[in-house]
Amino acid sequence: MRSVRAPVVANRELAPGLFSLWAEHARTARDARPGQFLNVKVSDGPDPVLRRPISVADVEKDRLRLVFRAVGRGTGLLGRLKPGDEVDVLGPLGRPVRVPVKRNAIVCGGGVGIAPLLLLARYLRRANRVTVLLGARSREELILDREFRRLGTNLEFATDDGSFGHRGPVTELLGPALEKADNPVVYACGPRPMLRELVARAGDVPVWGFVEERMGCGTGICYCCAVKRRTGGYVRFCQEGPVVKLNDIEL
Amino acid sequence: MKRHGVKLAGVEFANPLLVASGTWGFGLRFRSASDRLGGVVTKGITLEERAGNPPPRIWEFPGGILNSVGLENPGLERFRSEILPRMARLKTRVIVNLAGSKAGDYPALVEALEAEKVDGYELNLSCPNVAEGGVGFGQDARTVEKVAAACRKKTKRPLVVKLTGNFVDPAETAQAAEAGGADGVTVLNTLFGLALDRDGRPFLGARTGGMSGPALKPFALYCVDRVAAAVSVPVIGCGGIMSGRDALDFLSAGASLVQVGTASLVDPDAPVRVWKELRSLCRGFGSWEEIVGRARRTG
Repeated sequence: MRSVRAPVVANRELAPGLFSLWAEHARTARDARPGQFLNVKVSDGPDPVLRRPISVADVEKDRLRLVFRAVGRGTGLLGRLKPGDEVDVLGPLGRPVRVPVKRNAIVCGGGVGIAPLLLLARYLRRANRVTVLLGARSREELILDREFRRLGTNLEFATDDGSFGHRGPVTELLGPALEKADNPVVYACGPRPMLRELVARAGDVPVWGFVEERMGCGTGICYCCAVKRRTGGYVRFCQEGPVVKLNDIEL
Repeated sequence: MKRHGVKLAGVEFANPLLVASGTWGFGLRFRSASDRLGGVVTKGITLEERAGNPPPRIWEFPGGILNSVGLENPGLERFRSEILPRMARLKTRVIVNLAGSKAGDYPALVEALEAEKVDGYELNLSCPNVAEGGVGFGQDARTVEKVAAACRKKTKRPLVVKLTGNFVDPAETAQAAEAGGADGVTVLNTLFGLALDRDGRPFLGARTGGMSGPALKPFALYCVDRVAAAVSVPVIGCGGIMSGRDALDFLSAGASLVQVGTASLVDPDAPVRVWKELRSLCRGFGSWEEIVGRARRTG
């Protein structure tokens, strides 16, 4: 498997520290499915050594959108890329989400975790009834709301400070959404405490979630991205995930 | 150079490029790359299945990584029944890396695999990430000799000991491996490392890990040079090889074969790329012998 060099088309700061990068590569864009990620080289030298796994937030013709938080040196370097630069990407990697039909799909995202749910919601809405719940600390930090609005699904917002939508964590919107839905299934991405809370509130409703764990290779050969299974042993989430049934793992 | 083959204990490897244990799975994820290499060293196999260490298992620093996977593997039986049949079609040499929690595990593993179609064994006497055995064996020359000798009795296939550089002179343990009948030594496994989070707590789930990556190269090269001067069996160089030039340095220091490890986590294409780069760097030479150990011949 070969990595490819994709020209950067745009790189914009959506909210403080949150970047949206569009890169162009026809084959990668064509192959990418919801749930998959690209492993992105951030430096030509050995600092940092490893790539950064970033979920595909959206695809448009030959272009892929990556949305990420610049938290350290690696993602910081990515945030500084400009149109005309090239980015070395490996992927798409990971197992695509199995997109159901005729279900009530509830899509719940928090913070930068909103990003990979955009491409997923695009696929889900073709054959399912979709409700999207998006949360952030404040209106300023809420991202991609316009893109979600254009999808035309049910859409609700929550902010911790009440500056937009429901005041409080987005998880508080799950209960009412579940009440309105038969045969529901939940898709989630966000910080671990949020995912834990969602699984607890969902009861026996399946919750499929994007789990974040430190990753080595992204291709399944190093066994570093282990997530503990409730029944014992570990899941290699770059292979069996990154979207796994959260009810089955220890968060 | 016309012929690229390298012999280890009478077995011909198509080229001197191998992948290091634990960084390439079982060679199945990237089959066509595996087939272009001299050989594949498998992930470490233990008698019983091992779940591995709790996460996080990886941490990064400028120039390298720490890992604490902890020998997660399906165990001997499932390796034989589920994985080896899938490896049978690989068109490359297969070296099985063996790990034990007691000295007797190693000959038992060798004996069990003698009926299988594998090309050789690498004894992992140097894993820093398991509570029992692992690096403890490799730090004691007498144990190294004893384990190597016990395995030697079970097989005529190439038998290699993977050495540690942690608080021990690898020249001494390499001599012990040779005395026990090993056909070669791999120099070297990861080095002990500790990473702390902001609050001063160990970051890795297993508390400590093993260091690898380009930052290790000068130390690994030093050890290869030192070991190659101390033993007459072939040395397999390993430690931070990212490019053909790095591989060439290891050959010059005295390695007959080399292993690419951490580089494969960054680019699955790395082992083949390193081989291509090495091949073109060596174009002006008549044979590997002209290169191997030349650092000592020229001062």
